[in-house]
Amino acid sequence: MMGKTWGKIAEMVAAVQKGEVSARANVEKALDLAERCKNYNIFVNLTRKRALQKAEEIDQKLQKGEKLGELAGVPYVLKDNFLDFGADTTASAKMLAGFVAPLQATAVKKLEAAGAICIGKSNLDAFAHGGSTENSFFGVTKNFKDTERVAGGSSGGSAVAVALGVAPFALGTDTGGSIRQPAAFNGVIGVKPTFGSVSRFGVVAMASSTDTIGCFATNAADARLVMKVLGGKDSLDSTTIDNDFTPRGKQKLHIGVIADFMTDDVDQEVLAVVRKYIQELEKNGNRVETVEMPLLKYALPVYYVVVPAEVASNLARYDGIRYGHRAKTARTLGEIYGLSRDEGFMPENKRRIMIGNFVLSSGFFDAYYLKAEKVRTLIVEEYQKAFAKFDVLVCPTTPSTAFKIGENTDNPVKMYLEDVMTVPPSLAGLPAISVPAGRTKSGLDVGAQLIGARGDDALLLDLAESVENKKLKDKNI
Amino acid sequence: MSKITDSEMKHLAGLSNLLLGGAELKNLKEDLTRILDYVEELNEVDTTGVEPTYQVFDLQTVWRDDDEIDYGVKRKQLLGLAENVKDNSVVVPKVL
Amino acid sequence: MISKEALDKYEMTIGIECHVQLKTKTKLFSGADNDARESEPNSKTSPIDFALPGMLPVLNKEAVRLAVRLGLALNAKINLKSRFDRKHYFYPDLPKGYQISQFYQPIIGAGFVDVDGVKVRVEHAHLEEDAGKLTHVGEISLVDLNRAGTPLLEIVSMPDMHSAASAKTYCTELQRLAIYSGASDANLYYGNMRFDVNISVAQKGDKKLGTRAEIKNLNSFRSVEKAVEYEFIRQVELLEKGERVKQETRGWNEAKGKTLAQRSKEEAQDYRYMPEPDVPPVVLDQKFIEKIKAEMPLLPNGHRAIWAELKLSKSVVNAILDNRVLAEKLTSILQKLASDKNGMELAKNITNWFCNVLLSEENATKDFRQLDVTALIELAKMVAKKQLSSTSAKEILLKLLDGKKRPKELAEKLNLLQVSNSGELETIVDKVLESPESAKAIADIKSGQIKAIGFLVGLAMKESKGKANPSVVSEIIKKKIRILGEKDG
Repeated sequence: MMGKTWGKIAEMVAAVQKGEVSARANVEKALDLAERCKNYNIFVNLTRKRALQKAEEIDQKLQKGEKLGELAGVPYVLKDNFLDFGADTTASAKMLAGFVAPLQATAVKKLEAAGAICIGKSNLDAFAHGGSTENSFFGVTKNFKDTERVAGGSSGGSAVAVALGVAPFALGTDTGGSIRQPAAFNGVIGVKPTFGSVSRFGVVAMASSTDTIGCFATNAADARLVMKVLGGKDSLDSTTIDNDFTPRGKQKLHIGVIADFMTDDVDQEVLAVVRKYIQELEKNGNRVETVEMPLLKYALPVYYVVVPAEVASNLARYDGIRYGHRAKTARTLGEIYGLSRDEGFMPENKRRIMIGNFVLSSGFFDAYYLKAEKVRTLIVEEYQKAFAKFDVLVCPTTPSTAFKIGENTDNPVKMYLEDVMTVPPSLAGLPAISVPAGRTKSGLDVGAQLIGARGDDALLLDLAESVENKKLKDKNI
Repeated sequence: MSKITDSEMKHLAGLSNLLLGGAELKNLKEDLTRILDYVEELNEVDTTGVEPTYQVFDLQTVWRDDDEIDYGVKRKQLLGLAENVKDNSVVVPKVL
Repeated sequence: MISKEALDKYEMTIGIECHVQLKTKTKLFSGADNDARESEPNSKTSPIDFALPGMLPVLNKEAVRLAVRLGLALNAKINLKSRFDRKHYFYPDLPKGYQISQFYQPIIGAGFVDVDGVKVRVEHAHLEEDAGKLTHVGEISLVDLNRAGTPLLEIVSMPDMHSAASAKTYCTELQRLAIYSGASDANLYYGNMRFDVNISVAQKGDKKLGTRAEIKNLNSFRSVEKAVEYEFIRQVELLEKGERVKQETRGWNEAKGKTLAQRSKEEAQDYRYMPEPDVPPVVLDQKFIEKIKAEMPLLPNGHRAIWAELKLSKSVVNAILDNRVLAEKLTSILQKLASDKNGMELAKNITNWFCNVLLSEENATKDFRQLDVTALIELAKMVAKKQLSSTSAKEILLKLLDGKKRPKELAEKLNLLQVSNSGELETIVDKVLESPESAKAIADIKSGQIKAIGFLVGLAMKESKGKANPSVVSEIIKKKIRILGEKDG
């Protein structure tokens, strides 16, 4: 672990704007750190050439006296399921190994326009299917604190990059917890915004109805700055909305602790750390109460019907014909499809494709898919009821801390159970962030999950920031 | 206990367009059975008269004007992604 | 060969699914150029049509508008709320591995087509995207995605047709509705319309329909008609032999004039329809629909109603309707002539010109847009007043095509005006009758050989340098010879 390597993003940008630190120096430093962290297997590819070129452009702009963007010269790490020009876009799958994107994701374009510089593309579970970054064609990413343990996933590489200080922020995608869970496992903040807040255009789709784009950072202010740049309606994604991430200035929030996720099913140490975090919230003047949300436990089975269905559909385009892996031995059209897909996908991809096609197939659609989407309605309503009373809900991000590599790979359901707390807000499209809540006795990081009503992303960041500030103040006294 | 038969597994593999080996098919059958057993829990929930939720936003009628859009990608770049191209077309073995 | 008696025992029932390409500038879900006629392969293809990773559909408003227009032309209910679904199957011309269609909530509800005694109910019509094209060359197939993503409206009929002729009548009227509503060019050559035809056969009087076969992808009216005729006989033959008709998809082989089995129901695909999560539902307000209604032009049946008093045959009516420009001119002529006491006669004459001159093989492909309606009426009136011979009128008619407005001036300039003034003509006739070369003809006529009058008319025409109206001349000659006869007698 390298400790604190970067200051706050706003300060970094100010330094670049004043010419105190060049964008090039920032990029070189990040690339150097990336090289030094090789044993964590954070990156699929570094984007050295384009990064240095972009840094050069920013430094020249400054010399010419041109105005720089709000993230000028800030290096960042990009999950390898975003299309971008710096390196291949692989989604950590053999299917897309060597895929050179001819256009960039809207999110990447926005960051680039604001002056942020991608220095590398991070590892993930292939096609973002998984919660440990063990399902990557490029090998497993290690936890920032214990290389025997998983980074979490699917955005494992991005989380570890920020935790190790390679870059001050990183981009991830979160479909059922893929930002929040690795954030929790690696002691950083992870933001999953309200569905539609950030354009999905140019991001390899997993499950269209719950896919979101968010970020990792070391503090709420940095995360807010990044989300502000990322957010907004995009004419290329019909499901986008304008979302305001600026502080709401609302004091003394009414916070509901989800009782159903504070039970014995959760690791006792995790519970203790999260309880402590909740006490902090209370000490800060917020009103804390317990809330029962008995339907949330059905979110996971709903998720493992709905998401595979959308996965099976979204992965149908990978057919070995127009791009991506084409099996060398394929002779007939049937073999091009069947072998290319068999070779190009990881076992977890295939598992989800098969489940998805099962629940959508004639005869099973009503019993599985339709049923699940109906229960989803009840879950959405359960949240609506809760948010009629509470401003923010809180629970652990995960039921346990980072597990050992290989510990959960033989039983998919056991692996899925890791998502039990992150999945419910995803199904309802709600904003949820994981904040570092503390550590267990053995030093493993624990995340607390803050959940808001649709569009209340800013409120969650406000709350996280207030706890951070209080801690800083306490430290300084 | 959900029962997926071997022939259903083959049918699913066909729908999924995956040429799976026998061992893999067997493993997947076990996994699928486990997962489907798990999602059986949903039957505990009474959903009589409940409408399904397919999308989690209030957006409706999002459309664009009928104008050409330049995505900044040329035909050459698109075809350049394909393994086998002839006469500006992507080549596949003869479709029967 | 099956006997006529056997065929007479059976009746067929036909339902048709018709795919109409909508003439938008861009595709249904991408901003790529939608007009791929005569284009190089893949030149009208965006990253979205190519289905790159991370690409998303954005609905084209114009496609919705055109679908509503065609829906209104089908007398159909426009569903204020509709949504899209994914239909999954693997095929090289389907880049996403699914087609975005409308399975659960289509945009167009129930309607009907009522034409020439054939009434067909429309079950619904839905928006969807077209697939690309495959060209087979030896051992390979070439994938061209220019057409992938073109908006289609699929019109699904009820099984209301019972003959090849009514199937064809329905299809041809769909084409007119697609064109008149402005939804499509409906050009069969370019594949703007394609038909899937379901046919079943049962003994007359049977309440239960037979097992149906679906003939896919017919691209001409003739092939619809021929395929239905063939399929009827094929199915009756099977039933007569005591065999059963298989539920299957068949293709039409134009060269062989046969339908051939493609896929049986047992192999039928499971499309795994799923609501499309990337496209929000379409919710139209009544104002949007009212505005489109107000903009709708007169449809074929509107024209038919106006033309009814002309008592034209169905084939003439449809021939004119098939040239929308002429159809609209005819309707406007009838409206202009509504208060004219000779109006009907004039309009009939103009209709004749349309059918016999303008829609003749040599002129049918010409552009009639410049043809001035008032000039046409004036031209017809000149003929009625015998100022022009019908031959001269046709000559002038063709000259009106480039937008000239004054037929009289044209006739004068071309020296085509006829002399019908009887005073002037009598002088000419007198001169002819006095001429010695007429003597024999006059004698013949008097002895009853009326035909000989033609010779005298010819002399008179010559004398008038062609400008005399021959029928008036003939009348005058007859009158004068009678007078001569009376004198003689």
